[in-house]
Amino acid sequence: MQQPSSTSTQPTALEKVIAFVDERVGLKTLQAKMLNEPVPGGSRWAYIFGSILLFIFIMQAVTGILLMFYYVPTADHAYASTQYIIHDVDYGWFLLSYHFWGSTAMVVCVFAHMSQVFLWGAYKKPRELIWLVGLALFGLVMGFGFTGYLLPWDQRAYWATTVGVEIMDKTPVVGDFMARFLKGGPTPGQMTLSRFFVIHVMILPAALMGLAGLHIFLFRKAGPAGPFRGSVEELKVKSDYFFPRQVWKDIVGMVTVFLSICALAFWEPVVLLEEATPDPGDYHPEPEWYFLFLFQMLRLKIFAGEFGQFLGAVALPGAFMALLAALPFIDRDPERNIFKRPIALIGWIVVMATILIFTVSAIINREFLD
Amino acid sequence: MQPKLKSKVRAADREIGEVTRVIMDPLSREVSHIVVSMNGSGERQVAMAHVQSVSDHLVELRSAASEILALPAFKRDDFVTTHEVEIAHLEENIHVTPGEVLVPFPELEKSVKRRTFFMNFTHAIGFLIGLPIAYPILRYLMKPMYQPFDNSWLKIGNVGKIKQEDIGVQFKYRKKVKEAYMPEAEIEKNVWILKATPAVLEKVYQGKDMEFRDATGTSVWVNKKEVPYIAFSGKCPHLGCGYKWRQHKILGQVFLCPCHLSIYDASGKVLDGPAPRPLDALPIKISAGGDVQIVDMEFKAGTKAQIRIV
Amino acid sequence: MTDQESTSPVKLALKLLWFTFWTGFPIKLAFALLFLAMGIINFEARIGLGFLMVLASPVTVFALPILMIGLDSHIGEGVGIGLLFLLCIPIDIWAYGVVARTYFLDRLRLEPPDGIGLSLWIKTAIIGALYLPILWLVVGFTTETGISAAHSLFETEMLKWVPIAERIGIQLTLWGAISTAVLLIMLLIGLSIIGRVIRGATIGAQPAQDSYQRRVMRWDLMRVPADQGLMLTAFAGTGVVLSLLFWSALPVTTPHPHECCKKPEVKAQPPYKPIDALNKDEKLIVQLTAQLEALEKKKAEEEAQGKNKAKGKAGKEAAKVPDAKAPAQSEAKKP
Repeated sequence: MQQPSSTSTQPTALEKVIAFVDERVGLKTLQAKMLNEPVPGGSRWAYIFGSILLFIFIMQAVTGILLMFYYVPTADHAYASTQYIIHDVDYGWFLLSYHFWGSTAMVVCVFAHMSQVFLWGAYKKPRELIWLVGLALFGLVMGFGFTGYLLPWDQRAYWATTVGVEIMDKTPVVGDFMARFLKGGPTPGQMTLSRFFVIHVMILPAALMGLAGLHIFLFRKAGPAGPFRGSVEELKVKSDYFFPRQVWKDIVGMVTVFLSICALAFWEPVVLLEEATPDPGDYHPEPEWYFLFLFQMLRLKIFAGEFGQFLGAVALPGAFMALLAALPFIDRDPERNIFKRPIALIGWIVVMATILIFTVSAIINREFLD
Repeated sequence: MQPKLKSKVRAADREIGEVTRVIMDPLSREVSHIVVSMNGSGERQVAMAHVQSVSDHLVELRSAASEILALPAFKRDDFVTTHEVEIAHLEENIHVTPGEVLVPFPELEKSVKRRTFFMNFTHAIGFLIGLPIAYPILRYLMKPMYQPFDNSWLKIGNVGKIKQEDIGVQFKYRKKVKEAYMPEAEIEKNVWILKATPAVLEKVYQGKDMEFRDATGTSVWVNKKEVPYIAFSGKCPHLGCGYKWRQHKILGQVFLCPCHLSIYDASGKVLDGPAPRPLDALPIKISAGGDVQIVDMEFKAGTKAQIRIV
Repeated sequence: MTDQESTSPVKLALKLLWFTFWTGFPIKLAFALLFLAMGIINFEARIGLGFLMVLASPVTVFALPILMIGLDSHIGEGVGIGLLFLLCIPIDIWAYGVVARTYFLDRLRLEPPDGIGLSLWIKTAIIGALYLPILWLVVGFTTETGISAAHSLFETEMLKWVPIAERIGIQLTLWGAISTAVLLIMLLIGLSIIGRVIRGATIGAQPAQDSYQRRVMRWDLMRVPADQGLMLTAFAGTGVVLSLLFWSALPVTTPHPHECCKKPEVKAQPPYKPIDALNKDEKLIVQLTAQLEALEKKKAEEEAQGKNKAKGKAGKEAAKVPDAKAPAQSEAKKP
């Protein structure tokens, strides 16, 4: 709500400045439009994940830029410069570990946010476009995780990337070109590191900022969906504005995530393995934890052989993403109450349980490697 | 039709004033109430349920004037204007202003032919700004992607090291590489060399000499099938991991890749696991003194066909 | 809208506990982080468990020490863990009060009694202390039994052929589903007990007379402090002090893990298996002994022949045998 202007005779200096800007920018109206958005049914803790993702991205950008003060993206310096950050720069270990665990937090929150939107049916008309842009953002976050992982140039980084890119190679027609483009050649090397670095610090952030802006714009256009149940009276009584109520909840969520990432940085600070070599030796390549379920799936016998690998690595995940993209267009029932959408609820549980089982299986499977 | 601001309001019995304000429900985005001036007796908030008909200049209510007057007074403080909040899809749903607000349409823009021409021409020029640089950019990005092959022979050791037949022996060697602008580096690589008995040799060569060609089709080298030494590239054809020579509890002595458990026998044939083809044999030359030379080749991982990439 | 009669005890307990946990969590987390920076807490690998247990009080606040001491379930070292517990007590009592008052007004249409936070906390903490060890034992036993059953199932002739990746996945699904089901059942029982306790607290309460809008405003404004300036200053001031403590405590270079809780290093060497090495050696010795015997036999035969032929040759054969013996001995020494 607007503050009533001072009833004393002269406006203060601050009030004059505000009036000056407002006359030229329409500040007061802009502020009202941006902040005074009524949230039907009131602000909810369930809605905080979108804002938290924005917060995590900003923190990753800040810590990432700080890391770039010391990190050098060449094959002969990447490892040494990363070790320098970890062991010699004051609190470098903390910032690097924050950046590392921040990426995990981002993936966890992306899953939470997507699940919340799905369970609340907030992808249905008129919010189809927000959902599609959101899926693109999901792809970008996965891309961030994949490209960033290579940068320390230790054995883990190098081999997880090699295996990952070779899997992409399986795509028919464009696979070879794509894999060579990413690797900058037939085999991973300096060219790969340069390309991954550019993609990670320039291309993906620009794309993310653009798409996130679009995502928020479309969300504002459609308005928040609100809770999926509740009487009209309850919705009306509990209505409050985005600011300060939802923003308050968002910020408490942000502080919780911030503290959690810091705590994780203490529990397991980043430790590098030996520097990357073209021969893996006794090291068993493994991708980041959020790709482990795919990694384990590819070990199953049904995905053996060239076609099988293509099926498991590209076709199946691709088909699943296509299903998600088509979701608002095949699910036209306006019902949003998750307890009245049994297929949706069971589908969600099955997908989450499958990912969980395969991820844990991959961890157990480590014992059975030679 | 939605009631228009400033239109007259008539109760069942007489005219009672005009519509001074319209109240909208933010959830349903419909007009929920009108505020009637009551000709100076104090504004009243009247629900749309009381409205019988709406026209451009008149709103007719079904209740009598006295009933409307009996309604509670309108409290302005319970509301905010639409400039002070953000309601999605407001403009599409609210049509309460009588008449339209217009601005003059420039003469020049009235010519549709003119508009279409400049629009298309703008698109064309924009396209032509992008076009010349598209090709250089593509070549720029693709420069390192397709490299010519290095077919030089590398000396990697001596066969005196191999004591038994049909047993995999790892030969580690260093290869000098120069990538783009990087200083020349030595990378460690390895191959597995077998001294093969005729049975295993037959399984590998299957009666034909092994020919290695380059991209244009000219022959680079031929491995004669009589030479009892075979060199296998150190990278597993499944996804490129380095594999080992191991004792398997059922299959005996085999090549075993730890990444996805591809298993090959001494002749490189796939016994188990996701490997799409047998182990890749390399060109090999043995001197009289037993010195081994190979051409270091690398092949694409994960494909049934053997495609050379380095 | 839900009425107090129609809300099941489980839902009641779940709602109250869930919101109480999350209300107190950020505050506890801030202190936990400070203690981590000071190095007075070292969590073991099961950090998820550790965090949840310590910070998911009020139900766990007495249960966890019992589990750690009584059942030897170690989550970490450090005086910070005990400190966190002590801190959890006032935080939880406060959180309970806020959440309970909100719920009473919003859903139950009752006036919240005084000291509801403290009374609820005492009751649920005691129940947790008694019930959680039982839950721990039951779920632990089920899991162990499930795992070994799943493993032995795949030892049978019928299923021995199943490849490793599939085997792990199926085993995990089997015992995982069973353990999860048992855990859920135990949790539901526990929640039901707590729910009944909470319901007991509602029995004496006065009905609230205000309209719904008014009641919502009451619990909403309950969160706004009477003296905003004081509250904000105190909050910001405490935050600044804690930050200063954090800055001074934060290790400049990577902290070394406490001896109790080192993370297992990623194995660069394959693990040394003595049994395999012994077997290998044994086999080698047998092989070489056989070779030796064969050579000796050959020598004996040739000597017998050699006596009939030129004597000069015997010298050559004799020279060959010690050569054969020498590499055999050096092979035996190798592993």
